[in-house]
Parts: sequence; structure tokens; C-alpha cells
Amino acid sequence: MDRRSFLAAMAAASLPLRAQAAPETLKFRDLYLRGRTLTERAIGLAGQEVQMIGYMAPPLKPEISFFVLTKLPMSTCPFCETEAQWPDDIVLALTDGPVDPVRYTDLIRATGTFEAGFETDAETGFLSFVRLRGTRFEKL
Amino acid sequence: MQKILKTLMLGTSLTAVTGAAMAEGLVQQAGDSYYVAAQAQLMQKLSDQPNTRRAKNVILFVVDGLSVPTITASRIHEGQLRGVDGESNVLSFEALLPYTALSKTYTHDSQVADSAPTATALVSGVKSVNGTIGVTQAIKLENCASQKGAEVTTIFELAEQAGLSTGIVSTARITHATPAATYAKVAGRDWENNSNLPEEAVQNGCKDIAAQLIDWPAGDGFEVVMGGGRGNFMLESQADPEDETKMGARTDGRDLVAEWLAKGNDRVFAWNKEGFDAIDPAKSGKVFALFNRSHMQYEADRAKDAGGEPSLAEMSVKALDVLAKNEDGFLLMVEGGRVDHAHHAGNAARALTDTIAVAEAVKAVSEKVDLDETLIILTADHSHVFSIAGYPTRNNPILGIAGTADDNKPYTTLGYQNGPGAKVDAPRADLTGVDTTDIDFLQQALVPLGESETHAGDDVAIFAQGPWAHLFHGVVEQNLVYHVMDHATGLSTRAALAAAGK
Repeated sequence: MDRRSFLAAMAAASLPLRAQAAPETLKFRDLYLRGRTLTERAIGLAGQEVQMIGYMAPPLKPEISFFVLTKLPMSTCPFCETEAQWPDDIVLALTDGPVDPVRYTDLIRATGTFEAGFETDAETGFLSFVRLRGTRFEKL
Repeated sequence: MQKILKTLMLGTSLTAVTGAAMAEGLVQQAGDSYYVAAQAQLMQKLSDQPNTRRAKNVILFVVDGLSVPTITASRIHEGQLRGVDGESNVLSFEALLPYTALSKTYTHDSQVADSAPTATALVSGVKSVNGTIGVTQAIKLENCASQKGAEVTTIFELAEQAGLSTGIVSTARITHATPAATYAKVAGRDWENNSNLPEEAVQNGCKDIAAQLIDWPAGDGFEVVMGGGRGNFMLESQADPEDETKMGARTDGRDLVAEWLAKGNDRVFAWNKEGFDAIDPAKSGKVFALFNRSHMQYEADRAKDAGGEPSLAEMSVKALDVLAKNEDGFLLMVEGGRVDHAHHAGNAARALTDTIAVAEAVKAVSEKVDLDETLIILTADHSHVFSIAGYPTRNNPILGIAGTADDNKPYTTLGYQNGPGAKVDAPRADLTGVDTTDIDFLQQALVPLGESETHAGDDVAIFAQGPWAHLFHGVVEQNLVYHVMDHATGLSTRAALAAAGK
């Protein structure tokens, strides 16, 4: 087997693996073109599994099946904010069961099905524009 | 006298040049590039002459949280972004504002300051209590009743009384501590809109900061107000023009933007870049622009703002064009308000890019004013626990890795003593393979303070040029800034004469 044949064989062998390969990575900066206008990349990833790296904002209440994924730790500066001001580019991460929260300064990798469009959560009244559904996460 | 001075200076320069030439024979390193560059700098210093004219105009740049390491790191970053040597690079204000001093930022009650009393120190000449704005040391924090007799007169109020034009520009909310200190008097810096007022403040008749801006009784009010913080001027029933899901904050029925517009016919209000671009300074008597519901975007994120935002340089130049129409002069504060916020987030990259945006604003403004008659000052309100560490090689990316620590993990050149970048009871993260130059990277920190990295108590720098700028030398108290501005302009005397009808 020459080198070319070997590489072709390797590529063919990896095809099934590639179908189950890690989801696309979507960065916060690649979400929006401007304001709430999604990038083409974000639009193209709708309905697909994606991975996003960010921080878990402190949960709104215990035993809740979602968390808010933020680009930077969701901190409230005692000298610059009168109230917790949510940034514009947050992602609502819906989980299949109650979230076991991590500290909001721990970097996490969240994986879930990406979707966009306004939706109000019936239980909490939380309005979201960008979501991950069926989210799993791991601490980095 | 001026001629004699010039002759004397020329003589000094000639002596220095002759001396330098002679030194070339004796001093072995006289031909070294660093030696030659420093000789050129010496010649520049020898040619500097104090300007003792009265200042017609004053521009005060306040860069919130601009610690000395922030200046150094920004200087290196700006150079590296341009592909030139970062370490020997020069930020605009370092070259344009050659008179410098160190400023002691402690407050009446604290070793480490917050932005409220330090802004009071800069524009009213007194140190005061952390968390308060526009009041003296006699204030009790968050106690409205104690404001009586403790309120100050700001230099912006003196300027209005004396007939000058006044303006404030900030990338933070215009009701935030630094710009608020020019016009507001509050025992609690968080009283930005009426819904933030505690019951005691309501009962004792204290007014929120946004309302104080609109009701400001000084002269005919600010000619220019530009920044963020739109929500504090809008009713809770009003949807934000940039984001229909967010509402105004006011619960007292006062639509402050409408009230401001109703005060005259030569007024223009803008909330996005299109509106900003449409403002004609020649035709606009007064400009009020609020580009975001809360703070304006970081410079690094500005291009993605929904409504579009002007840069700090663009705002400063437009402000200047409106204010400079007054032949009696003007007083302008320009705040780079978000260097501080990026540091609080432990995000050095955004702190540096916002500092560079300030440098661009200083350059743009300096090109438009006559420095013989305009005093320009740039300073910070307080420092941050931000450091430049390790022994990175020359030209190493300032946001990069400095070396490997005793735990065999890489560490970055830039870091924080505390803040969100620290882990709680866990080993330091391994940065192997991590792109530490990424705009969203958070520098590591020692002490875990997830809410916010803290301010620091070390001195900050003052840079100045123009009339009486030479008074800034040595280690000085922060509140000296007001006194130099007043001395250079004579505003307290001029305001008193104007009040007496003379």
C-alpha cells in the first residue's frame, strides 16, 4: 500500500466516526452580525448540535432545568451596576433535568441543539432569543 | 521678557548640544541608539517652556481605572497591533501631554477609592466619602438628610455661571459616577433613576441623578451631553428604541428626554449612529445623545451594536465643534468609562482596546484645539489590581504567555491580584494550548472575587499640556486637579463677578 492508498483508506475508515464527530463549535462572537441580526453561520447551525464555551450564570432558583450561558462571568460590579444587567448576548441553555450548578466563574463547555427566535418560558416568564436545547455541560 | 527667555533657552540648548558632542569623544556608548534617542528627548525637554496664559478652554479626560500598568500594556498592545515595536511605542497622550504628576487617590474614608468621590475630587477640589457624589466629607453614606450643607459647587457650575459652554462625554452611563460628579449631588451613587431612591431619600426630597441632569440649574445647562444610560431617562412604559424587549426605568411619570427637548428649539437628541451623524454642530445649540440603554459598548464590541455607536474620538470631536462656538471658551469632560469595567471582569484585552480608544480621542481633539489657550488634562480616578509580570522577551505579545511557573503550567504576562480569574480551592488552570490573546480570555487571578476584580490604591498618573499644565509635577493630591483648572481659567473669580453682575 503506497502512501496515497493508505491515506485514502484512513479517510474512508474515519467516515462513520466523522458522522458522530464532535458538534460544531459556536463562539459567542459568531452569534450576531449586529444587534439581533444572526450571522449566516449561526442561522446555518439552527437545529444542529453545537458546543459553546462560556460561563454559567448563577441559577435563578434551585431545582431548575435551565441555566444561562454567558460570554463572561455574570458578575455585578459593586461600583458600576445598580442591578444585575443582563448582557445582550446570553444563551438560554435548557437541560433535560435539574441543573447541578457550577460556580459562575468556572469555564464550561455546553453542548446542545442550537435554536434562535423569541420564546417566553411558560413557567418562569424568562424571554430568550437564542437557546441550546437538551444541554449537557462539562467544566473545563 | 519672552525674547530673553528664548535666548536663555537657546543658550541652554546650545550648551547641551556642545556638551553632547564633546561627550561623544569620552562616553563610549555615545553612539548607542538608546543613548542617541535619549539625547533627542533631552533636547525636547529643554525646549519646553511653561505657558502662563489664561486658559480659555479646558478638556479633562478621565479614564476610569487607568492604572499605570494599564498605560504600559496599552502602549505595547497598540504598537504590536500596528506591527511596530510595542515597548518603545508612544500613546498619543504620552507625547501630546508632556507635563506629568502622580496623583494620590485615597478618599476621606478609604485607602482604596471608588469612582464617585474621586470624580468629586477632580471637579470640585475636595476629597470625600466612597459611594457619594458631589458632596463633602460631611456626608453620611446613603443618607439624604445629611446632604444639606454638604453639597459642593463643581467647576462645571462655575463655568456655566461665567458664561462658558460646558459638555460631558462618556462611554459609561451618563448618570454613572464620573460624569455625574459634574452636575449631581447624592449621598448614594446608585441613585441613578427615581426607582433607585431609598424611602429616606424620597421622604427628604432628594432627587435621582438623571433628574438632576435635566433640572441642573447652572447657567443655561450643558451644551453637550453624550454617553449611555438611556434607560434612566425613560419611563417604565417606554420601550427602548434599540431593543423592544427592554423598557425604561423611571416610575415617576417623568419622560426626561421629552422634558429636555421641550426646553428650547435649538436642541437635538440622538440615540444611534445615524442620528449622531446627522447632528450639525453649526446649527445645534445643545446636543443630548444617549446611545445605549445602559453603558455604551466596549470599543471591541462597538461594531456589533444594534443602533450603531460613534467612537469616543468621534463624540469628542463633535462635542468640541459644538462647544467651540462660544468665544468665551468651554469646559469639556471626556470619560473613557469602560476600561474600569473590563478590568472588573478580569478581561485585559477589552481594557487595553478601550484605553487605545481614549488615546485616539486625545489625538483627534488635540488636532482641533490651540494648545496655547486650551488646557488638556488626562488622568484616572483610581487604579486596578492589574500587573505586567514575568520576564517575557522583547516583542512577546503583551496578551501572551510570559513563561512556565513552578507548577509546570504556562502563565500570562498580564494578570490580576484578585477577581473572576481565580479558582476557589482548585489548582490553577493549565493554559497549554489556550489562546490567551483571544478578546474574551480572562486573565488568571490569585484571590477569588467572582463578583468583580477590585480597584487598587496605588497612585495614578496625570498628563497635561497647555496653560498652567506645568503645575502638574511631583506627587500630588488628586483634588489638586480642580485647583489647577480653576487657577488656569480663573473661573471661581469670573463666576463670582458674573453673579455680582460685574
